[in-house]
Amino acid sequence: MTPLRRPPDGRMRAALLALVLALLSVAPASAATHYLLDGSGSQVGFSTDFGNSKITGNFPVSAADLELDFRDVARSNVSVTLDVRSAVASFPFAAQAMKGPKVLDARRHPTIGFRSTRVRRSGNGAVIDGALTLRGVTQPVSLYAVFARPVGSDPGDLDHLIIRLTGAIQRSAFGATGWPDAVGDEVQLDITAWIVRVD
Amino acid sequence: MRFANTAEGYGLLSRVLHWGIALAILGMLGLGTWIDRMTPDLSNFWLFGLHKSIGLTILVLVLVRLAWHRYSPPPVLRAMQHPWELYLARTVHWSLYLLLLAIPLTGWAASSATGIDTLYFDHWTVPPIAPPSESLSDLGFAAHGVLTKMLMLLLLLHIVGALRHGTGPGSALRRMWRG
Repeated sequence: MTPLRRPPDGRMRAALLALVLALLSVAPASAATHYLLDGSGSQVGFSTDFGNSKITGNFPVSAADLELDFRDVARSNVSVTLDVRSAVASFPFAAQAMKGPKVLDARRHPTIGFRSTRVRRSGNGAVIDGALTLRGVTQPVSLYAVFARPVGSDPGDLDHLIIRLTGAIQRSAFGATGWPDAVGDEVQLDITAWIVRVD
Repeated sequence: MRFANTAEGYGLLSRVLHWGIALAILGMLGLGTWIDRMTPDLSNFWLFGLHKSIGLTILVLVLVRLAWHRYSPPPVLRAMQHPWELYLARTVHWSLYLLLLAIPLTGWAASSATGIDTLYFDHWTVPPIAPPSESLSDLGFAAHGVLTKMLMLLLLLHIVGALRHGTGPGSALRRMWRG
């Protein structure tokens, strides 16, 4: 098994070397492959407007469960769970406000969940339509996914992968409406999950 | 210079507390109105912390003043032209004390209910006095605003009353300023 090389700052940096098309060309002919979260470095980065400034931060990914079919992408399934209580932001008040009752209400809703409903190929990656449950409210969300191999792994080695999902949500759609005059409604998401093949 | 109050005049501590609190309140009315109307961002966010810190200071100073006046009673109000004036002056004084306790407490409770830490002058974290709750926070801030409007009205009555009492020797204003 090829060891993962994770940058010390936790970000992927040069890790995204190969995209899903490269994987598709070498994928085995079998059906969906089962992957789970690998280690603890996976996270969801977010950013939103705060007056003339920006609030950025991240949530740790507490679980990911993926059925990936590289030949027939539409047969893939993705589900991701986030730990709201461990979220951090670019300044402490922002994290407290975000986890507080006016936004994510972490005490009552300690996790955020995403479950795919439809996966289709798009460009070098895939568009994943799914249901995002945040603050107990479920809404449809589309995320754009690309896959990469960790640095140092062989081109044909699909045991360890990195999935990166990007997209945006309107927080008001989930009832996370606190401080609407100060904090932007649109929240940009950038999810990086390290996954490992389990079957 | 007398430190304690006498039957005739205010001592130094009562006078310093009175004018110190007065100055803090005037500053806070301006600051509170300003932060309520501004668009918060990283450059002005510290003003919320300043507002909370001064508010907590006023709360403590008012408690010190109430305790001090139990230990060293202030001079009695002089007889006024009409009995209703004395009654009104007393009512305004006690209402001011009530508001100067209730306004910081509602602000502190509403801040606590947002789930955000309240820091005293960026240094000490003050314990929350309300659980995280959106409705409690909204209710607390609404009360904070309404009580502040009442305070503005009462301050006006307090100032008009003091001036009406005159500024000559033995007047309330002179006794509060010079003892």
